[in-house]
Amino acid sequence: MRSIPRVARAFAVTGALALGLAACGGGDDDTASGDGGGEGGDEIVTVGFVAVGPEGGWRQANEANVQDTFTEEAGFELKYAPATNLDQRSQIDAFTSFVDEGVDVILLSATEGAGWEDSLRRAQEAEIPVILVDRGIEPDDTSLYVTRIAPDNYEVSTSVAEWAVSAFPDGGNYFVLEGPAGVSVVNERNRGWDDTVGAVPNLVKVGAQTANWSTEEAKSVFETVLRANNNDIQIVFAQNDEMGLGAAIAVEEAGLTPGVDVQIATIDGTKPALEALAEGRLSFVAEYNPLFGETLLEVVDKVLNGEEVEPYIVVPSETFDSPEAAAAALPDRKY
Amino acid sequence: MTDVASRIAANRGAIVRNQAFWGVIAIVLLLAINVIKDPGYLAIGYNDETGHLSGNLIDILRASAPILMIAVGMCLVVATSGIDLSVGSIMVVAGAVSMELLRGMDGTAGNAALTLAIALGIATALGAVNGILVSVVGLQPFISTLVMMLAGRGIAKVITGGQNTTADNDSFAWLANGYVVGIPVVFLLSMAIVALVWVLVRRSALGLMLEAIGMDSRASRLAGVKRRSLQLTVYSASGLLAGVAGVFATASVMTVDVSRTGYQLELDAILAVVIGGTSLAGGKFSIGGAVIGGLLIATLDKTVVFLGVPASATPAFKAIVIVVLCLLQSERVRNLFRNRRALRAQSQKEVVPA
Repeated sequence: MRSIPRVARAFAVTGALALGLAACGGGDDDTASGDGGGEGGDEIVTVGFVAVGPEGGWRQANEANVQDTFTEEAGFELKYAPATNLDQRSQIDAFTSFVDEGVDVILLSATEGAGWEDSLRRAQEAEIPVILVDRGIEPDDTSLYVTRIAPDNYEVSTSVAEWAVSAFPDGGNYFVLEGPAGVSVVNERNRGWDDTVGAVPNLVKVGAQTANWSTEEAKSVFETVLRANNNDIQIVFAQNDEMGLGAAIAVEEAGLTPGVDVQIATIDGTKPALEALAEGRLSFVAEYNPLFGETLLEVVDKVLNGEEVEPYIVVPSETFDSPEAAAAALPDRKY
Repeated sequence: MTDVASRIAANRGAIVRNQAFWGVIAIVLLLAINVIKDPGYLAIGYNDETGHLSGNLIDILRASAPILMIAVGMCLVVATSGIDLSVGSIMVVAGAVSMELLRGMDGTAGNAALTLAIALGIATALGAVNGILVSVVGLQPFISTLVMMLAGRGIAKVITGGQNTTADNDSFAWLANGYVVGIPVVFLLSMAIVALVWVLVRRSALGLMLEAIGMDSRASRLAGVKRRSLQLTVYSASGLLAGVAGVFATASVMTVDVSRTGYQLELDAILAVVIGGTSLAGGKFSIGGAVIGGLLIATLDKTVVFLGVPASATPAFKAIVIVVLCLLQSERVRNLFRNRRALRAQSQKEVVPA
């Protein structure tokens, strides 16, 4: 007799599970109808966005722009999945669950370049097109994704390098503040800089360190770098705005004047950086244009209609080399 | 003089067995490596431009302040055989609260003090939640603080709307960047807090009671130690200290970076505590040791930059230093060396008569 309640309990558990599954099934049905709609053209298209999440002003502007573009009014349902603390593992999980759900298209901003092959192959088997947003993958196998839309890191950092060459005709010592080691952005920005500056013998590399894109770490790193070199550094190439601002604080604390004793060049072009450029604390800011939601939208439409697109679409970016240029651009800066 | 020398010789065994001793040795070795690279490394100069002392040692002291705070908090928690994985996340919450409040205020000293009080209050409250989960609900410390570690960063993101927030307030920035008679405020503050904690736990029975809980919580209860309220106090204190660390970290650049501020610093804190000779099994703790551990970690971080170790090799370099240190600290490894030396001496003796 005692076994009967247990059996009853088992049934109850099974029932609950079945309900749960039914609920999940319901969810699947929704996306399935979305699927049909994508091909029809009028219904809601589901877009899975495997995003980076909070990282800095640039990322904030970029992801907000994507979210504002793929709205319900425009006929999209955007599923936004930011990474947990820039962890690739959480991105792969989000990516896999988008594939299992069967979304119509996946947008991917990878926190790290390597290790995406398996996930991308799964998406390919499920016939879900993947569009890389900003960050590329390594090795860059173009057969695994439809297209990559990004400003060109190589071009942008080349523009910084060209500024350094022209601003320091007599040469000088430079230091590079990098993002985390191994990230494709860092490699590309290093290559663009090295290819131009490396050819100029009187620009001497003092060193390079990672400050993990962070103001706080950049300040701490650069104060020590200044000491290690007796303040004999004229140029800092900071691979994002936040690190450049951290370096500026370190320069001020060492009793030097940023813009005079040490000139700092950064990439991204966020509002705080342009404000600092207008005040003369930074010397050069190369924009890495985050606002390409419109381009992205066009590409998604083309891809869903089965049209061919280029494997790499470059978003044009500007540069700001003087306080005046920064002051002029500031009023309608969106990020 | 000979008296001191002979006493040191007599206590040599005890000193070598003291794990914090090896932490000091490691700091000295790291500094020595820096001196080899640049003989002027240890020099402390007076900067005419800014009017305060400057030098690599000063930088290390400043950089160590946040780590010291969380290491001391961690040390107390570990003494009760608990662990607090949430300190890094509480740091970012305190930072986020301060930056978000200061952004909407005028840059007066009063506002800075108000912000500081609110930020530290919230940090203490989060620590108290840990304490309640552990002492009243009876969850394992690892799990309850792990939950807080994940939740904390989420809370910080909600507070700032997922952005890295920047603010301006000179008084608040002074906490991290200011100087009093040439000495960094942040270091004076952290030393004062460490000393205060030390007096509280070591000049009263508090420390013994914490150790009693760590050794055997049932026995301690039978002996009349109030386990629950003490655990609640310890986790709240750890939260408060993490809040102070968060304020130090964000005030130095007046920016909170929701995904980087305090990120993985709980691991640094645990490391500092262990290097200082506090057993993670609980029942024994050394605040002085935790301070040495914290200073070692700051020295290591600064050394990596000073030597210009390539970014990609940095984690490996740090890991090697720490592994070597732990090996030196291990009694068993030291015995192994001693036995081998003894064996070799013995075999030589045997050779002589033959």
